[in-house]
Amino acid sequence: MITWIRKSSGILGMNSRNLSYIRPHNLKKAKHLADDKLRSKTRLRKCGLPVPELIAKITSWEELDNFDFSTLPNSFVLKPNLGLGGEGILVVYGKKKMRNAWIKADRSVVSEDDLKDHIRNILDGSFSRTHTPDIAFFEERIKLSKVFKPYSYKGIPDVRVIVYNNVPVMAMLRLSTKESEGKANLQQGGIGCGIDMATGTTTTALQGKTKMIEYLPGTRLPLSGIKIPYWKEILGMAIKAQKVSGIGFLGADISIDRDHGPVFLELNVRPGLSIQVANTEGLLKRLQRVEGLKVKSVEHGVRLAQNLFGGEIEEEIEELSGKKIIGTVEKIKLIGKDEIEKEVEAKIDTGAYSTSIDTDLAKELGFESVVNEFSKIDLSEYNIKPENEKKIKKDFMDKYGKEIEGLEDVGVIFSSSGSSIRPMIKLKFIMDKEEVSTKVNIINRKNLKYPIIIGKKDLKKFLIEIK
Amino acid sequence: MNSSFIAFATHYGVPLETITLILMLPVVVMIIAFFRQVIGIKAFGIYTPALIIFAFLGIKSGSGSFWGGIKYGTAIFVSVIIIGTLARIFLRQFRLLYLPRVATVISIVALSTLVILIIGGIFQRTGLASVSIFPILIMITLVEKFVAVQIEKGSKSAIILSAETLIISIVGYSVASWGRLIESLQNYPWVVFIAIGITVLLGKWTGLRLSEYFRFKEIMKNDYLDQKK
Repeated sequence: MITWIRKSSGILGMNSRNLSYIRPHNLKKAKHLADDKLRSKTRLRKCGLPVPELIAKITSWEELDNFDFSTLPNSFVLKPNLGLGGEGILVVYGKKKMRNAWIKADRSVVSEDDLKDHIRNILDGSFSRTHTPDIAFFEERIKLSKVFKPYSYKGIPDVRVIVYNNVPVMAMLRLSTKESEGKANLQQGGIGCGIDMATGTTTTALQGKTKMIEYLPGTRLPLSGIKIPYWKEILGMAIKAQKVSGIGFLGADISIDRDHGPVFLELNVRPGLSIQVANTEGLLKRLQRVEGLKVKSVEHGVRLAQNLFGGEIEEEIEELSGKKIIGTVEKIKLIGKDEIEKEVEAKIDTGAYSTSIDTDLAKELGFESVVNEFSKIDLSEYNIKPENEKKIKKDFMDKYGKEIEGLEDVGVIFSSSGSSIRPMIKLKFIMDKEEVSTKVNIINRKNLKYPIIIGKKDLKKFLIEIK
Repeated sequence: MNSSFIAFATHYGVPLETITLILMLPVVVMIIAFFRQVIGIKAFGIYTPALIIFAFLGIKSGSGSFWGGIKYGTAIFVSVIIIGTLARIFLRQFRLLYLPRVATVISIVALSTLVILIIGGIFQRTGLASVSIFPILIMITLVEKFVAVQIEKGSKSAIILSAETLIISIVGYSVASWGRLIESLQNYPWVVFIAIGITVLLGKWTGLRLSEYFRFKEIMKNDYLDQKK
């Protein structure tokens, strides 16, 4: 029992969510703003956050009678303003030719009369939180982004981000399924994928309330490793929304439109707790970690989120393989003759066998004499062909090896830009805190972007991530 | 031996039965709060289960036995919900607005209950008919809550919540019919402040609910693995 309580200490339960987080941090005013979709839409837009375009709104029966349905576009979303948990939302994807009728995701047809009926129910308050009269509005339908196409069943996936004290603490990607009838709502059988906060890559996944899954139901598509585009922007938008709404414990719902990128969907003052199961991690310990932090800016908040609650995937791989993960371009520190140090950006090139550095850079690192001496040698006597490589190396080193101080070897390079003999020197470099001692060849790279490329011979301690 | 407070109140014409029921209310709502905050059984809020518990108590005093309360109470509860659901499905085709729709459902349930009572009478099953009418009326109006939940959260949630409401009601009814408790409330009315005190403490309880240990079991498993590592 005691170990049970200890194990559960990092989990946020309903009682503690309500009493310790919603009550003190989401004041009445902020709650009203979040519940009023039209008002939060205007507020968010004013502060520069992209929201779905409003097409029209209907506030009374008279307005409904006078509304011209033929002005509606082919696809739109009809929503109750004070609607709760996705209730009363109607989405149409296309319009019938010649008459005012639209097609829903399940191919059923919605006539003008059906729409009017639905709107009357909305106006009457059937979907509002307290059953008080409501407003109906039409807004632009978000278009499915390519990244999510294979994962989506009829609905548009969205990202839920929990923001506390201006730091995004946890996030999940919500996917709609057949069971959830196109709604990305976990309670209705949707899928929630936990997200690594540093990289925006999905980790573990949950369907419904308690079922952990690895693959998209009915397919062999893994639900982990989905890389969410615009990740930093999404985190930034969530923080901004907290600033402008004054909701201290916020669930921000952000979707990605095919054409416009991230779009802010909804502010949520009572974010659900299943996000913890999707991430298989407790929210309480994360909330406690950011409590009282001084967050200076939106960027600072994003950075904190990435540093505090991410990196697990990378660390895991690094731990497993004992190798460092690097990108295709890395800042490295070169250590040349007499411990001369220089920091440069290096291109990681697995297509090359050995590392090449630019002539000028070699000179700066104390190898000026090698470069100069080498340039005096007439290389035309050598017949550069793969089968001659060994012979050339031996002849050359016998002839000049003792003469030129610092010349370790020569490299015979056959590349697409022509074959050449290059001088090689001994060099050390430090990349991602790993020190590598090696021999590198010198070549003129003046017109190339990076003064050094690291070849695969020197990359044994690393894994390369292509971004 | 009744306390001097009770003696004082009864002396001025407040019936003992009334005093006991009123003092029982804080205990009943404490039980409902306990179920919600500590065990995690939601039911239809606090109002509906409390009313049903008192309806059960009313049926008990009508039928004269503890089991009569449970038997007839549950029977009425279940039939009200079944008829309510059928009525709602039947009315769907007419596309009524919310309030008139619920009102129609309640009317159908009321008339059906009357039919059930008459049929019971024909077959000499007068136990149900002898139940006083107010508990039955309370149960009939409960259908509003049920229909509202059905519309908002779907039939599955509505059925789960009804079952939870029934469980809480039976437990609450059993406690409220417990002779020892009734005696203590009559002899030491201040006992009620203990119940209020517990309720206030429940309002400050931020621990996990029992049901949440099941809901979050995957996270706990994960944490356990982390610790081992």
